[in-house]
Amino acid sequence: MVISESMTIEQKLSILADAAKYDVACTSSGVDRKGKEGMIGNAVAGGLCHAFAADGRCISLLKILFTNECIYDCKYCINRTSNDVPRTTFTPEEVCSLTMEFYRRNYIEGLFLSSGIIHTPNYTMELIGRTLQMLRTQYHFNGYIHCKAIPGADPELVEMVGWYADRMSVNLELPTADGLKQLAPHKNRKHILSPIRQIQSGIEESQQSFGMMGGNKGRYWHTRRQIEGKSIQQKRLEDAQNNISQKQSLLQNPKFQKSDEIRKKILTGWEEEDTSKALTNTTRALTRYNQFGGKRGFVPAGQSTQMIIGATPETDYEILSVTEALYQKFDLKRVFYSAFIRVNEDSALPVIPGGPPLLREHRLYQADWLLRYYGFDANELLTKERPNFNVFLDPKCNWAIGHLEQFPVEINKADYYTLLRVPGIGPKSAGRIVKARQTAKLRFEDLKKMGVVLKRAVYFITCNGQMMYSVKLEENYITNQMIGIKERLPKNLASDGMTYEQLSLFDHQSIQIPATQQIQMIAHS
Amino acid sequence: MKIIRIYQCEDSVEGIFTAVYVAWAARYGHDYIKLQIKSEDGSTNYELFSEYIDVKKDSALADKVAESIRKKISVSAYQMVVRAALSDHPCKANSIYHFLVRGFAMGAKVVDHLSDKYVQDIFEMNRRVGNDSHYYKEFLRFQELENKVLLAKIEPKCNVVELITPHFADRLAAENFLILDVKRKIATVHQANNSWFLTYLSNDEVEQLLSLAESQQDYEQLWRTFFDSIAIKERENYACQRNHVALHYRKYMTEFMKKN
Repeated sequence: MVISESMTIEQKLSILADAAKYDVACTSSGVDRKGKEGMIGNAVAGGLCHAFAADGRCISLLKILFTNECIYDCKYCINRTSNDVPRTTFTPEEVCSLTMEFYRRNYIEGLFLSSGIIHTPNYTMELIGRTLQMLRTQYHFNGYIHCKAIPGADPELVEMVGWYADRMSVNLELPTADGLKQLAPHKNRKHILSPIRQIQSGIEESQQSFGMMGGNKGRYWHTRRQIEGKSIQQKRLEDAQNNISQKQSLLQNPKFQKSDEIRKKILTGWEEEDTSKALTNTTRALTRYNQFGGKRGFVPAGQSTQMIIGATPETDYEILSVTEALYQKFDLKRVFYSAFIRVNEDSALPVIPGGPPLLREHRLYQADWLLRYYGFDANELLTKERPNFNVFLDPKCNWAIGHLEQFPVEINKADYYTLLRVPGIGPKSAGRIVKARQTAKLRFEDLKKMGVVLKRAVYFITCNGQMMYSVKLEENYITNQMIGIKERLPKNLASDGMTYEQLSLFDHQSIQIPATQQIQMIAHS
Repeated sequence: MKIIRIYQCEDSVEGIFTAVYVAWAARYGHDYIKLQIKSEDGSTNYELFSEYIDVKKDSALADKVAESIRKKISVSAYQMVVRAALSDHPCKANSIYHFLVRGFAMGAKVVDHLSDKYVQDIFEMNRRVGNDSHYYKEFLRFQELENKVLLAKIEPKCNVVELITPHFADRLAAENFLILDVKRKIATVHQANNSWFLTYLSNDEVEQLLSLAESQQDYEQLWRTFFDSIAIKERENYACQRNHVALHYRKYMTEFMKKN
């Protein structure tokens, strides 16, 4: 291991930004904060992307590792201890001055601080905490900070960081506990889930004491609330009651609702979630009251997590179920996916021809949006019998074609969430439709100008009782038409063994499965 | 056949509002009225069978229009119209006039009347200006000059400099900064812990500001280093990058500029 003490800040930045680049989340959203006298910076709830790198990913934050020295040997990670790469560590001052000077020049929205594990998890977490404290109190930085909670660190240290950070995240690393055991032998699912639970409870407690400054609920929660037609207070009250009544029934009958479904154990892997200690832990999360952060509240922008896709043989169904469980049980703001990139030579790692499974990652993100904004359940999109997404169709089209009995939908009458389920209509256009039809009956021409993608929607809607032109509501016909529409995939995905051809009516069964999917199938059988 | 009257006005919110007032007061019939922005070099494609009327900017009349939009339609309609007036759309004056005709008849709900052509136009211009100002909040880059003043240069398609300055004034309250719109020769100037103002610049002043550069280029270099290291080679995708940062935004962005 090469540890160099005498590096310039430019060399360090180059190494530690390079080491941090595989981290996915770079969002700066979730909190609105005005500028403050004597401080520099503010935060915008929608987030701002300040630049886009050569891979087309957004650069919103100064995304760096504090150090790339690491005691762990996770097989998929470039910084694993058995790799021979140049190692270095920032000082807290260096991180602070880089953040401040970049921020003044409007290069970044704030800091994203992650780290390798140096000496012990506690030592690392404390270093990170000290850096954030310095940035907030000595450098008077009032912008956005996203920070990793290190699994295995003491709750007190995690809490301290939470008072300074806006968003925190704990990496789930791999979708299931089994995968984690295979590829990250030093890590433990329990240690990963407990800080997530701690941060969640902290956010709730802080919310109760400080109001919205203490963090607001994620999109998933709000979508469910709107579908149920409840106010924020009602839903919060109901959550609290559910929590209590669930605990009571657990006490009365500890073995209730035993089930062999994978979904009951999808997060923990080792025990049923309804009775799991790690998940029903009720200790107080916040031990000290906000002595550091002024009026900022505890992790006001909520928490997120990320997992690697394609390094282990989980199906899309399992991954999506994990995602849904995370939204339901931990109230996460986002779950991020990262297509596996083979940076290390290791016999435990799969070789995926055609590079990282970017199309699969893309489909999962599409499905994630359907869960959070559109009110879909994971069960509706995939099933145990059909556990992977269709490579040729996006998940929403795929769902609609499988549920033709619910269509066509009348544009001038259907409610918001019914409109949302139509391919080609999104939250923005559905909102516009609901507003605009109060002043005039809408026609197909109007829809196009409101942003509805008619070439998709046309099979599923009527305007004033009529379809745009007569279409057969028949599965094969619509599937072929939909595949004929060129989906605007992110440009680099199109080379993933995919060809777009107008298929004839008769050969739709001979769809070729690209190499990446075949590999997954082999891995499963 | 009635002759179409075309009112020509100056390219500013005041200019357009003045023309709205004058055209309205003429009581000529809304269907026979068009508004047009005077081109800067005085060259216009004149249409046959129309009468051209030149409107001089008058802030008293413009204020009256602004006031009645806020009172009789709504504040949000007023914001939409002002934003549309800052867009680079050639027909913006005409669309604003006809939007207001509908607005004064319908009241506040005109903004949702999206099946109407002129409401759609205003909506679209509004979106465009909103997007452009959002992008400049993201892509604008400051340089630090010798005296610690921060200077940003931009060449936006829509006139967004006034829209983005409040964001930076809040964020960088303790800094002296200047945002220069090179094309329109206007700049907003913010004084540390104080308010900001808009100023019109002469050609010489613009030249002088353009010749200034970052005093110490260390942080520009560090930023380029970071920008290059953060990209994942296996996922390289320049088309996607261009989708997100169109080329015309890149002229003054540190990471895309050539090293001096």
